[in-house]
Amino acid sequence: MAPSESEPGVVAASEARDRSGFEEEALTHAEHLYRIAVRLTGGQQAAEDLVQETYLRAFRSWRSYRPGTNLAAWLATIMRNANLDELRRQSRRPLQEPLDDDGDYYLYNRLAQAGPVPQDEVLARLSGTAIVSALADLTPTFREVVVLVDVGDFSYADAAEILGIPIGTVMSRLYRGRRALKRALADRTAQEGAA
Amino acid sequence: MSADPCRGAESMLQPYLDRVLTPAEAARIEQHLRECSYCSDRYIFERGLRSVVRECCCEEPVPVGFVERLRRRCSDQA
Repeated sequence: MAPSESEPGVVAASEARDRSGFEEEALTHAEHLYRIAVRLTGGQQAAEDLVQETYLRAFRSWRSYRPGTNLAAWLATIMRNANLDELRRQSRRPLQEPLDDDGDYYLYNRLAQAGPVPQDEVLARLSGTAIVSALADLTPTFREVVVLVDVGDFSYADAAEILGIPIGTVMSRLYRGRRALKRALADRTAQEGAA
Repeated sequence: MSADPCRGAESMLQPYLDRVLTPAEAARIEQHLRECSYCSDRYIFERGLRSVVRECCCEEPVPVGFVERLRRRCSDQA
């Protein structure tokens, strides 16, 4: 180490540079986090507030981030905790997770029942509104894992770290969450068809 | 895979789409999908469903000035 780097002023300047570099890099993930936050909270204003709270916390504890590790996952962990704190503050409790045993092809079978169509048109029966409201209706435990993996594109390992649960639990929640999502989509699509 | 190849394929479809199967398991399901139109129709649907859900959520417009407001709030409170 060069002698001048041990001088307090130089160290402070170097730390300020590190911090500012960290903040700039962290901010490149803001839009990705916002899209996850919208699905977690169900509203644009709530999502913006959640992302702001996330960045305030992240910037306060920036020294605990290890450079070279997955920054998006580190930020998502903070966001998930901030969201939990908010849910607790509002004392909303997760509902019981419904069981369903309709199989993985439940949605496909329901959509295909609506009438014979070419295979590639079955998906076209799903509207964006149905997808958004079906995601919003999942219980928080399922929603967060489905949103992280299927919307946020995080790996099982990242999701496990973010949620503080084993990978096996991520897999079983994903399995059940995706089924619950398909069930909700089938119900919404049927309602839209009837309307 | 279980005795009923279609049931076996159903249970492996999500892990296959998540790319977490071993190469041998992936090869088995790919072989089945080539041979079975019932399962391959459903595979195509499940794959499409994933991208439709992702696209729908990723098209969510970020509010105008969002990153700037975020930057300002953070520097105000630093």
